[in-house]
Order: sequence, then C-alpha cells, then structure tokens
Amino acid sequence: MPGDLVHILIAAVICWINFVTIDLIFKLPLEGGVSGATEIARQIEEKKGALHGGFMMGNIVSSPDASAGTLLAACGVTIAGIPGGLFAALLVYIGNRICYDPGYAGTTGCVVATFLIYGFTQIGFSGADFIAGMVIAILTIQGISHVHASRLLARLWSWRWRS
Amino acid sequence: MAILIEDLALSICGLIAVYAAIRVVLEKDTMRKLPFLNVLSFAVSGAIALILPHPLSILAAAAYFVGSTLESNAIASAYAGGRHRDE
Repeated sequence: MPGDLVHILIAAVICWINFVTIDLIFKLPLEGGVSGATEIARQIEEKKGALHGGFMMGNIVSSPDASAGTLLAACGVTIAGIPGGLFAALLVYIGNRICYDPGYAGTTGCVVATFLIYGFTQIGFSGADFIAGMVIAILTIQGISHVHASRLLARLWSWRWRS
Repeated sequence: MAILIEDLALSICGLIAVYAAIRVVLEKDTMRKLPFLNVLSFAVSGAIALILPHPLSILAAAAYFVGSTLESNAIASAYAGGRHRDE
C-alpha cells in the first residue's frame, strides 16, 4: 500500500509537469478563449489573484485542455493500452470543437500523455496511479487556492513569455 | 476502511470529488465555483474509468467530462454576457 501511494504521488508530479508545460507552450495564459474564461480570470484577479494565471484557469474550465487530455489518456491507457489513449485523444479533439476551442492543447496533451503513461506502465506503474495522480494535479491548480495557483501560473507564464 | 486501502486510486478520486463538491457549495461567487466544479468533473471521470474496466468506459468518461466542461463554458459565458458584450 505505501508503494502505491508513492507511485500515485510520483504520477501526480509527472502529470502536473506534463499538462502545465503543454498549456504554456500553447499559450493558454495569454487570453481567455471565450468570454466566460475571461470573466473567470477577472473574478480571480478581483480577489488579488494574477490575471494571466486566471486566464489559464478559465481556459481549463471552459474547454478540455492538456490536463483533460492527460486524464483521459490515463483512463484510455488503463483500459486499453496505447489504442485506448489514442481513442481518448480523438474524443478530446471532438470535445474541443464542441466547446468552440480552435486550439490543439488538449489533443497534443492527450497524445503525449498516452506514450508517457504507457512508458511508465512498463516500469511498474499502473494506469490507475496516473488517473489518481492527474486528479491530485488538477486539485493543486483549481481546487485549493485560486489566488496562489493563479500567481504561480502567471510567474511560469512570465518565464515562457520572455523566452 | 478496508476498501479505502484496497483501492487507493479510487479512494483518492472519491475523496477529492467530495472535497470539491463541498467547496462548490461553500463558494459564494458563481464564477469562482466553476474551477471547483472542474475538479469534481476530473474526479468523477477518473472514478468512472476505475470502476468500469470496459472499452466503452473511455467513451463514458470522455462524454461526461466534455459535457460538464461545455456546461461550465455555457454558464460562464452566459454570466459574462455572451459574445455580444465585446462587440
């Protein structure tokens, strides 16, 4: 059991790095994709959060991004291996179009996560570790403190913007 | 308690879902409820895939997740005044 917990925590760190990196590459913190995402960012900024971090959080709420891609890839790989993960990527692509999102952050995140998670299942991890890990990873961004999470994302975004 | 330890991944998803639901209820501002609702959707989608190990579960988890995201998107955009505000 303690081994499982360690695996889940390691999986959470890997999922966190994967989805935040891909979201930053696809410039999610630049602006709100729909008016709802912009409004969420504005409300977070009102509570002394950071605007660009808020944009990213609003975009995560409004359309399946790399975090959703990572979760569904984990579900797909757990159930049916690499084909399951790629099928999940197709569903994320359809989900993006349903949510008026022209971007490819979700689909890319899902494909990258599929191969990453499959690789880890070859060295003793299970797909279930990554499902729980991704739920913990999204909890740290969206579910604990919006003010601190938005500031952290804005700081990461400022590094991305400068480079 | 035995089930909690036996299936740790599912227990974590369940506990986080309950935590997120409580935060959704306690948060007063509608727009700030939505990120907590997002965490709830993640946890429930994960639980669907963990409870039902069947190929169609991927479809069920994705359909639930995309549906709930679209609802959040619609609520947030309607609350923000829709697309006409910027025009």
